[in-house]
Amino acid sequence: MSIVALATEGSGYTSPGVADFWQPLVGNGAFAITRASVAILVSVAVLSWLLLAGTKRMAVVPSKRQFATESTYGLVRNGLGRDIIGSHDFLKFVPLLFTMFVLILLNNLFSIIPVVQFPTMSRVAFPTALALVVFVVYHVVGFRKHGLVGYFKSIIPAGLSVGLMIPIFLLELITDLFTRPVTLALRLFGNMFAGHLLLVLFIGGGEYLLLHGAGAFKLAGVGALGMGFVMTVFEILVQVLQAYIFTLLAALYIAGAVANDH
Amino acid sequence: MDGSSGRREPASGREADQAWRSFAYLLSGPLLYGGGGLLLDRWLGTSFLLPVGIVGGMALSIYLIWFRYGSR
Repeated sequence: MSIVALATEGSGYTSPGVADFWQPLVGNGAFAITRASVAILVSVAVLSWLLLAGTKRMAVVPSKRQFATESTYGLVRNGLGRDIIGSHDFLKFVPLLFTMFVLILLNNLFSIIPVVQFPTMSRVAFPTALALVVFVVYHVVGFRKHGLVGYFKSIIPAGLSVGLMIPIFLLELITDLFTRPVTLALRLFGNMFAGHLLLVLFIGGGEYLLLHGAGAFKLAGVGALGMGFVMTVFEILVQVLQAYIFTLLAALYIAGAVANDH
Repeated sequence: MDGSSGRREPASGREADQAWRSFAYLLSGPLLYGGGGLLLDRWLGTSFLLPVGIVGGMALSIYLIWFRYGSR
């Protein structure tokens, strides 16, 4: 049997694609309530509950829940806020950074939490909205710190020869206004999209091979499902890492705007 | 722990910032000047300005990274 014959014959399986990510639950079109919109609302409710419960009865010897909440907060406050923005003015950004971190983390983990099983950030609008918040914050902080003209002046490195000033200024401008916020959003989106696609492929394809395949294909199905399990574990790593990197970069961008020299 | 790690903060933050910023420059250069080349190509009816823009933009990005982080 050639591959072509198999491909034309086995029309029962549709390989996963972009269509898998468009899941309207109520309505359709631009204002539809999708699985992702429900997921992010659920995440806000779950986070509110977790954080309120984790900080309710604060004790010197913390409960497990308080310990978990405190160490997550400590990671963001000290590891991302203080170490990167600097001890002088990091505190006012910690609420933003912490909110972003836990929100992204939970929404990423939704990819592998049964029933939800959908990474919210694989719909590009969600990371875009988050990146827009970061974008507005770090530019407003920069304008406040340096003034409008001073901010644009501060993006050119000192000591540059006159001939290169304009091309470098344009390069810096595009980097700050376009590349950094766009890559921030796309990095998170791409990782979640690709990761979920991979899981759908291995698990969906494995299930199809196992149930509908004949002979050796059943064996391949077992292999694919095993791979699906391995990738699920790997995805947990990616999900945590991407939440961390998004927050890290948000902190770095803010740090750049707060710093005296750019 | 609070006091000792506080002193380290500018360095660790700066190194991470340099790495990520360099990456952004390497994207921006070819994007900006390649894009400009493409538009000029469309306008002038030529076809060599896009590759020149991409390579030139990349060169400018690398120069900027060297200038910012390597030369002092």
